[in-house]
Amino acid sequence: MYRIPRFGWLLAVLVAALTVAVACGGNSPTTPAKGTITIAGFKFSEGSVLAELYGQALQHDGYTVNFKLNLGSREVVGPAIKSKQVDLYIGYAATDLEYYNNAAGEASGDVTATTAKLNSRLQPLGLQALTPSAAVDQNAFAVTKATSDKYNLKKLSDVAAVGGQLVLGAGPECPQRPFCQPGLERVYGIHFKSFKALDTDGPLTRAALKNNDIQVGLVFSSDADLQSLGLVVLQDDKHLENADNVVPIVRTPVATSEVKKVLNAVSAGLTTIDLVTLNSQVELQHMDPDVVTKTYLTQHNYFS
Amino acid sequence: MPNGLFLDYVDPWINWAWLVSHVAVFSDALLQHITLTLIAIGVGLVISLPMGIVAHRWRALRNPVLTLFGIFYTIPSIALFAILIPYTGLSTLTAEIGLVGYAVLILTRNVVVGLEAVPRDVLDAADGMGYRPLARLVRVELPLALPAIFAGIRIATVTTIGLVTITAVIGLGGLGQLILQGLVENFHTPLLVATLLSIVLALVADLALAGTQRFALPWSRTA
Repeated sequence: MYRIPRFGWLLAVLVAALTVAVACGGNSPTTPAKGTITIAGFKFSEGSVLAELYGQALQHDGYTVNFKLNLGSREVVGPAIKSKQVDLYIGYAATDLEYYNNAAGEASGDVTATTAKLNSRLQPLGLQALTPSAAVDQNAFAVTKATSDKYNLKKLSDVAAVGGQLVLGAGPECPQRPFCQPGLERVYGIHFKSFKALDTDGPLTRAALKNNDIQVGLVFSSDADLQSLGLVVLQDDKHLENADNVVPIVRTPVATSEVKKVLNAVSAGLTTIDLVTLNSQVELQHMDPDVVTKTYLTQHNYFS
Repeated sequence: MPNGLFLDYVDPWINWAWLVSHVAVFSDALLQHITLTLIAIGVGLVISLPMGIVAHRWRALRNPVLTLFGIFYTIPSIALFAILIPYTGLSTLTAEIGLVGYAVLILTRNVVVGLEAVPRDVLDAADGMGYRPLARLVRVELPLALPAIFAGIRIATVTTIGLVTITAVIGLGGLGQLILQGLVENFHTPLLVATLLSIVLALVADLALAGTQRFALPWSRTA
């Protein structure tokens, strides 16, 4: 009779490969010194920078920190913290409020009120937002250094007097969005000479600013390239934009007074300019987030 | 980077200095990529073989089973992960539920197709030789279906190597992490090198499987 050769060893190889694969998948637990805190970071370089910044401060204080970096958006991090898979992530006050209230539109330019509302949404979930940092990552309007000097522009309210001579550039949706052109008219009384539809915070906006095709462009306040491009972000002095201040969101059982003290100290020291610098080191110079944040923390005496 | 020159700065295709200092990152990612793929295909086979046999034996189950896996295939991965995270966490298990689910459709379909392609006269001859149903399945039908099953394993493996990258959203993803980093930072080196490694991995896996098939199943050689 014809025998089927070599069928058995094939199965054996498959089973062996599978066993090895499963064995490799396991995590070896480490003994905690002060307790283990799992911190999540969003999937973009600023997410890793913030997670490393606060995580390393906790590590220095004696906690064992488990980093879960490069997680998808809030749709991944939200369920993860609600189900206690992670203990802490560094969020943004307004954006997180609108996530937890299902986009009820409660966020405003007032960071204190926004954080208070965020906390009322977080409390039933066993979570809390700590004191927000002054560092923000939100819609912002930038001008070149030359434009800033020429018209003496430091904040958005400075623009009202000279708006008629300036061209605004942003994504094509800007003339309809309350936080873009209509908001600038309503809150600051700025009427631009014209509007140029470009991209939202992208290379077209940057090229147009450089070529002086536009004088005011929409960016995000913590963009990595603001310094290297020599752009000046105009201060949102009348709080048109939602307060997307950096804020740690932590599970209440983990938020001991010591943990809060460590996290609040990092928030208190961090500025938007620091964030731009750290982001540019990671995004433009391709340094590793854990390296640049360690340098920052050392330079700002968090480790002394 | 010098001030004000960002727009004029051209990122090189490969930044060798960065690449050399990050070799460990690439090897870790590659290892994770291979591990995730092996588990997905292994577990996928363990599920698909019995499922395919059952769907072949009881004809009424064939379409419901394949339709069920087909529906699973249409669930967007990000939605699947969001649903799973409260139960299985940011774990390999969460990633594998997705990857295995996607691989199972391809594998089961090929098991069924392979079994269905066994010629009627071969089965009659086996029956005539006195094979009982289980022995006929193991010694006649499965060996003859193996070329089709192997084809399924090859397709599923290559597909899974591509799909592993989507598990980057839950912090895994193997080479997908580096591809994402390249996209997010507009940085060519990780994007190109990780994509290249992923392609090479798929080619090597496919060739290795083809070689294994040729060696282990000499009766499947054509021409």
